[in-house]
Amino acid sequence: MKINRQRREIKSIDLLPLINVVFLLILFVLIAGRPTTNHPQQIEVATSTQDSEYTGAAFAVWLKQDDMFYLSEGESVTLGELADYVKSAGIVEQGLPVELIADRRAHAKPLLAFRAAMAKAGVGEIRLKTQYEGAAQ
Amino acid sequence: MSQALQITRARRKNPMMGLTPLIDMIFLLLLFFLLGSDFVSYGQSRLAPPRGTGGSESASQPAIVTLSEAGKLHWNGAPVSSEKLAQDVAALVARHDDQLVVLMPAGAAEVQKISDTLDFLVEAGAASITLERDVFDIDLADF
Repeated sequence: MKINRQRREIKSIDLLPLINVVFLLILFVLIAGRPTTNHPQQIEVATSTQDSEYTGAAFAVWLKQDDMFYLSEGESVTLGELADYVKSAGIVEQGLPVELIADRRAHAKPLLAFRAAMAKAGVGEIRLKTQYEGAAQ
Repeated sequence: MSQALQITRARRKNPMMGLTPLIDMIFLLLLFFLLGSDFVSYGQSRLAPPRGTGGSESASQPAIVTLSEAGKLHWNGAPVSSEKLAQDVAALVARHDDQLVVLMPAGAAEVQKISDTLDFLVEAGAASITLERDVFDIDLADF
């Protein structure tokens, strides 16, 4: 007995809706997102209710949860090394601010020591990076 | 008898344009923007230099706010609630626009608590806030 099966025609999938949706996604990401800053992934900065404009700085220091200072991934640096660096890199001469990207779980002691060391080195302004979380109720 | 010249043109097939490279490129663009974008809104607090190192000096006596490790506030040495502190700071700022408020966090206080207190003082009206080390929070390891 022969069974005649009708061959189904393979219809091509209409790709235009897919392309439309993906274009919309790109538009959404472009409008809602901002270009990534040099923010280190492992540092959660303190939240703030003050909607201050973030401008960054030419020189950024990381203060991680272990209360140690870093310039990048790798070995920690001491406050003396940081002070020498800001002097030799011309940050003090040009009057540039220094940005401190501090983990919210780090402690006040290294923060205050950093500020004192930078002031001693001649840095006029330190900007503490925060994350805006909306106005307080 | 004239015979009309007949030119038979071969009908060109309308080839389907391949959409796969276009889709590939769009997905790559989407990936690039997704990975290269940050959806977090960052801000920054300006930390004035410590007193006596070139910062602006207030004509009035500085008001001293101490922040303990547990987040408790002291106003000029006495424990104070945040509501009372807000009232006192607002009253001081009303008298002197450039009233300096010195925040002295304990060495073990977390950065988040310092940020919360700075926000609180700014909301109370203080425009000139500086951080100082709590003189009573001495660590013998520093000597």
